[in-house]
Amino acid sequence: MSIAVAHLSVRIGGTTVVEDVSFTVPAGTWTTLIGPNGAGKTTIVSSVVGLQRLASGQVTIEETDIHELSERTRAGVVAYVPQRPTIPVGSSILDYVTLGRTASHGVLRAPSAADREIVDGVIERLGLAKFRQRDVGSLSGGERQRVVLARTLAQGTRVVVLDEPTSGLDVRHQLELLDLLRKEVEECQLTVLATLHDLTTACQYADQLVLLDRGHVAAFGAPRDVVRSPALSESYGMELRVVTIEGHDVVVPVRG
Amino acid sequence: MAPPSSRRIAIVWSGAAALLVVAVVCGLGVGPTSIPPLGVLHSLLSHLGLGHSTLSSFDQTVVWQLRGPRMVLGLLAGAMLSVAGGTYQGVFRNPLADPYLLGVAAGAGLGATLAIVHDGNAINAPTWTPLIAFVGASSAVAITWLVGGRGQRATTATLVLAGVAVASLFTSAQTFLQQQASTQSIARVYIWLLGSLAGASWSSVTLVLPYVAVCIVVCVLAGRALDVLSLGDDEARSVGLSVRRVRVVVIVASSLGTAAIVSVVGLIGFVGIIVPHVIRLLVGTSYRRILPLSVVAGAAFLVLADTVARTALAPSELPLGVVTAAIGAPVFVLILSFRRGMSS
Repeated sequence: MSIAVAHLSVRIGGTTVVEDVSFTVPAGTWTTLIGPNGAGKTTIVSSVVGLQRLASGQVTIEETDIHELSERTRAGVVAYVPQRPTIPVGSSILDYVTLGRTASHGVLRAPSAADREIVDGVIERLGLAKFRQRDVGSLSGGERQRVVLARTLAQGTRVVVLDEPTSGLDVRHQLELLDLLRKEVEECQLTVLATLHDLTTACQYADQLVLLDRGHVAAFGAPRDVVRSPALSESYGMELRVVTIEGHDVVVPVRG
Repeated sequence: MAPPSSRRIAIVWSGAAALLVVAVVCGLGVGPTSIPPLGVLHSLLSHLGLGHSTLSSFDQTVVWQLRGPRMVLGLLAGAMLSVAGGTYQGVFRNPLADPYLLGVAAGAGLGATLAIVHDGNAINAPTWTPLIAFVGASSAVAITWLVGGRGQRATTATLVLAGVAVASLFTSAQTFLQQQASTQSIARVYIWLLGSLAGASWSSVTLVLPYVAVCIVVCVLAGRALDVLSLGDDEARSVGLSVRRVRVVVIVASSLGTAAIVSVVGLIGFVGIIVPHVIRLLVGTSYRRILPLSVVAGAAFLVLADTVARTALAPSELPLGVVTAAIGAPVFVLILSFRRGMSS
């Protein structure tokens, strides 16, 4: 399923934080939004999942306007990992991941056998089986992000939106999480829209990048082109250089 | 805290059910005319069409005409206040929320004061107090919702703040009325404010039963939705919960049921906070488990508290609100210190 963002503008508290942003994410590909703090990344992803009121513009997923759908229908189309997920301390990992199936069984019925099977499958694939009964509040940062990803994947949507899924993780856990996600993307033909702060990882895990600067799209295209565009240094307000190590682009800040 | 095992949950359910049986037997059997538990049980079973009662006709009258309605009203009040406290804690994601958070108590207090002051000294006149208290309680919540709960910007915080403002306004109006009233009226207002089941009759039970039964069922059914809501508004919406609709339904059911109860029994404090907290400590944080258990345990707790209120200083009666607070406050402190002990 493809995502199309067309002429998106969002105003928050009288300030325009995103203005006339357009891009598309083709079905089965991965697009990452990059840009400095305050560029509008979080506002755009929360608009794509229908949680933000739009001043103008439209977000469509496979020809359907996402803002026209009820919460329950939308939850069957797109799943979302927010920047700071709320962890309901005291609930088991199994119960937490099962919350991802809410749209399928509704709030008045218990999860069906099929729902439980999907949850078990995701828990198994993400290597969480031995933690099933543990309290989500007791997990380390890396485990926690994996559990949040499990809940999101349990929703069973073809489109997944992630806001800074690796924030607070050390470099090994960052790559582990992104590798897990990439595997899911390839195996389940998922369409991904993510935001990332680390430009080098952004390059390595995306099919295309959207560079944002103060609420506008400053560059859009293949990662190798976007990180080499002069707009990158301009938007961050400092010099950034790209060096290539064993075929991988690495973005390095140059101290002035 | 680790999520509870199914064995632990079964034990807590058995304990709550046993407590309920004890409460019913005490509620019917304990008092100036002491009736043995077996006699009460036989009489109960005979009403269900099993066997026949061994009680004298005098004892039958005491059990079924005097203590029966009082016990049933106590069950309803305890169940409703506890489950409303539990759902409020879920919907506001605040462990200190109680059923009086949005102004129910202040509204009912103003309504009751109006009715009592207006009745003056005509003690034997048909009383409008429950009806006016109910109107006061419902209007207070409705105003709170109109001020703080509408519009896109409304959050649970604005709603709670609106509740504080509305409660203060209603309380100030009530205080003003009291100042104008006779000493006798003031005394009656105070007795009403402290809560009591002494005025219970089968007619007051049938008056509130339909509302309270429906509200309790709605609150219990909301358990799964409240578990989803523990993810926070945005994440709950992203997994498919219509957060706004759930919030309206749960707040209306809890407030309406609480208003109905408060209008006939006055303000009974602490039940709505204590019971769900103790249950949470025993069976964990899932509202699917907390809410139905709160119904059973809350019902039992209030009937037992009322038994103490009736008998501790017999022949005079203690106000029920005083007993629930006297038991509730130390229990609350104990729970808090226990929880602190566990988390450190």
